[in-house]
Amino acid sequence: MGNEQKKRTGTMEAFKHKVVVDPNYADKTWKILEHAINEIYDQNASGLSFEELYRNAYNMVLHKFGDKLYSGLVATMTSHLQTMCKQIEASHGNEFLETLNGKWNDHNKALHMIRDILMYMDRTYIASTGITPVYGLGLNLWRDVVIHAENNQPRLQNTILELIYRERNGEVMNRGLMRTTIKMLMDLGPLVYQEDFESLYLKVSADFYRAESQEFIEVSDCGDYLKKAERRLSEEIERVSHYLDATTEEKITNVVEKEMIANHMLRLVHMENSGLVKLFLDDKFDDLRRMYKLFSRVSDGLSTIRKVMISHLRDSGKQLVTDPEKLKNRVEFVESLLEKRDKYDKIINSAFNNDKIFQNALNSSFEYFINLSTRSPEFISLFIDDKLRNGLKGVKEEDIETTLDKVMMLFRYLQEKDIFEKYYKQHLAKRLLSGKTACDDAERSLIIKLKTECGYQFTSKLESMFTDIKTSQDTMREFYAACGSELRNGPTLSVQVLTTGSWPMQSCGTCNLPPEMSILCEKFRAYYLNIHTGRRLSWHTNMGTADLRASFGSGQKYELSVTTYQMCILMLFNNADRLTYWGIEQVTEIPSSELKRSLQSLACVKGKNVLRKEPMSKNIGDDDVFSVNENFTSKLHKVKIGTVAAQKESEPEKQETRQRVEEDRKPQIEAAIVRVMKSRKVLDHNNIISEVTKQLQPRFLANPVEIKKRIESLIERDFLARDNKDRRLYRYMA
Amino acid sequence: MNKLGRGQRDKVQQFMLITGASEKVAIQVLKASDWQFEGAFDIFYSHPHLKSVADTRHIEELYNRYKDPYADMILADGITLLCNDIQVDPQDIVMLVISWHMKAATMCEFSKQEFVGGLQSMGIDSLEKFRERIPFLRAELRDELKFREIYNFAFGWAKEKGQKSLALDTAIGMWQLLFAEKQWPLEDHWCQFLQARHNKAISRDTWSQLLEFSRTIDPGLINYDPEGAWPYLIDEFVEYLNENGKGKTSEWNYTK
Repeated sequence: MGNEQKKRTGTMEAFKHKVVVDPNYADKTWKILEHAINEIYDQNASGLSFEELYRNAYNMVLHKFGDKLYSGLVATMTSHLQTMCKQIEASHGNEFLETLNGKWNDHNKALHMIRDILMYMDRTYIASTGITPVYGLGLNLWRDVVIHAENNQPRLQNTILELIYRERNGEVMNRGLMRTTIKMLMDLGPLVYQEDFESLYLKVSADFYRAESQEFIEVSDCGDYLKKAERRLSEEIERVSHYLDATTEEKITNVVEKEMIANHMLRLVHMENSGLVKLFLDDKFDDLRRMYKLFSRVSDGLSTIRKVMISHLRDSGKQLVTDPEKLKNRVEFVESLLEKRDKYDKIINSAFNNDKIFQNALNSSFEYFINLSTRSPEFISLFIDDKLRNGLKGVKEEDIETTLDKVMMLFRYLQEKDIFEKYYKQHLAKRLLSGKTACDDAERSLIIKLKTECGYQFTSKLESMFTDIKTSQDTMREFYAACGSELRNGPTLSVQVLTTGSWPMQSCGTCNLPPEMSILCEKFRAYYLNIHTGRRLSWHTNMGTADLRASFGSGQKYELSVTTYQMCILMLFNNADRLTYWGIEQVTEIPSSELKRSLQSLACVKGKNVLRKEPMSKNIGDDDVFSVNENFTSKLHKVKIGTVAAQKESEPEKQETRQRVEEDRKPQIEAAIVRVMKSRKVLDHNNIISEVTKQLQPRFLANPVEIKKRIESLIERDFLARDNKDRRLYRYMA
Repeated sequence: MNKLGRGQRDKVQQFMLITGASEKVAIQVLKASDWQFEGAFDIFYSHPHLKSVADTRHIEELYNRYKDPYADMILADGITLLCNDIQVDPQDIVMLVISWHMKAATMCEFSKQEFVGGLQSMGIDSLEKFRERIPFLRAELRDELKFREIYNFAFGWAKEKGQKSLALDTAIGMWQLLFAEKQWPLEDHWCQFLQARHNKAISRDTWSQLLEFSRTIDPGLINYDPEGAWPYLIDEFVEYLNENGKGKTSEWNYTK
């Protein structure tokens, strides 16, 4: 056991006192390390001992020779890099990048090894002095000596950019090599990447795309151009993913977006024969979708599309509603509106990503041009009338619902909903009274939709109309049950009892019914009033219909479907062969304009002339003589003469309806004014106008002048007063 | 009274004669108004306790003089006589001012209460005092506030009993009378416009707003604001003026 004797100075007590070292110790140690570094750079590292080198480095630092070590490292490394640099510079054309990359690899490998060896210095000397650690130093030296060498720097940039340029033009490049080169720049730090490469790259790309887009837009149409832009965009994104830093992606896409899209947006959209409007007209969904996607990348892109869409819709819509040809056929008119809406709905759905802002733009454009024509409310009602009378036979229930929903959409656009209501009531009344409604469910479904949209007020009268019809049917049944025995041999009566106020009626005088009918009507009246005492009935003979069985001289028997007036006229001929106009008027007491019209339908219309008129002129004169046309023939057994179908109003009728609606609006405006003032107590003029307009907006667009007149009327009646001090303020007088 | 100068003593006498005030009150009031009559009258009449009680007996005597033989009112004949007595033309606008003081309900008649009450409030109990008061009454028209009150009063006074609006002809007549005092340059155009376009009665609101219009809007219509809550008729008037080229661009010779 000789352990106790191991008391030597040396390694164990090294920290206690300064070891007296050989003055050349540092030099010698450095020489060893220097040699090692050289060997490493000469690819001769295999013969080196890591431990020994580490220890040497460690000792140098320990003995306070870190600075010498560091500066030596710098010098040695620099000289090797200079050699490498010359080699790189010497390479020819295509080999430049390869050589550069090769040397970079070598340097990296060397750097790693050197760093490992000098790790102690990194941790202590460098840490304490704050100078660049070994690895960073290696990178910096590479950057300064090699990359930024006078010839290399521009050469490197140009080579890279040239390759990219060629690739953009379709050539294939060695992407792996490019990737490592770029990676090298990235490794050298974001500043190097940006200053040595990226900023130049972006500028060059901008120039490239500017030129290309300029060239291309001269020769291509909108759709092709968009395709190309889209392609270029995806190319650039792909390029980044393959060999550039990810942070470049956004920057390069911005460049492409600006040069290819933003700069040419307006030109593309307004291109003759291929621009946005043409794409709309031809339903080019793919192109539209592409445009939407591309334009959404640039600011104001989508709003540019939207503006064009709005102005196109407004113009084409305006044309539609003011086209006199279209206005002749109201059903076609509405159908074109529906088609148009469907078309653009589809476009927004499939190409514009169902973008809500575009939906709103569509709605506001429709609202604009539908209200350009004052006949829109009437026509929409006529369209519905047509469908409910004829058009829904054999159509499936869901389709009916869809059609009605679409019509409701048009309805929503109307500003003058109260005019629609008036017409709808008129048309509905005619349908119900003539029994011409083809589909009861559809009628009711539409009422429900109107109620949901406009509230109970709108539809309460309409519903009452339906109720009246049903009640009348019940009443007739009960009437015949009670009195049927007496009436078995007479004509069959059907009465519709309508509640005044729910139905759009003008009062009319009655006429003289043929005795068979008047007896029957009296019986009914007595019966009804017996049950409903306190009510008053007035006959509206101008709205009734009758079915007659007629036999003519030739032995032919026909069933004639006529109006009540016409029945009165025809029945007279049971007791007289010839009658003058004057005579007919006397007996029947039908108002003359109605009488003339009825006679015209009976005597002057080919195929329906059950009466003969002397003279044979179209107009009815007071002295005209009428007789039965014994030679009347018709292919059909049942002949319809004189229907009560809904027709487009004539000018004077239209004026009258509008006037009535205007009159109806006055109390509504007043009610709104009172409502507003009641809650606000005091309000200035402009605010009243805007509040009242807002309140009335679901029904109609209120005219500020009319509102003012109503205010004055209310002041007159002491509902409102002007404020004493400020004449622009109004006060509510409780 | 002895400390007053000659001129001032005269004024005091006059004042007492006109208002029926006592010497003490007259001196007080005249001093307060710096010996200016107009101011003095104002002060005097706005302080009712200064007024001496005008002799009601005298007033009643006057009433009986003018009252109609068959009704307990003063009617047209009585009014004519009154006008004669106070030396005023029945068409003179001062009659309107008098009616205003009387709070007369309708033109061409005074009830007993109106007549007596009116004279009392004016402090008049004799024809002499009445005559002397006339210039003062006339002067009241120049006061902006009083003019407005009188103007607005005129509407109710001039219209038919039981009607809500004022007949157009009457309104035009009243306007001509009133604006003779106030000189509104557009008055003729207004009357022409009404006869050409409106031809209906005038509502109270329109009547009162017209005064505001004449006061605030310059005849060149430069500061007319279409959103200014003017009655519809006035808006139409402006349109009419613009149509006939009398709007903003034309020149106006008017003296304010």
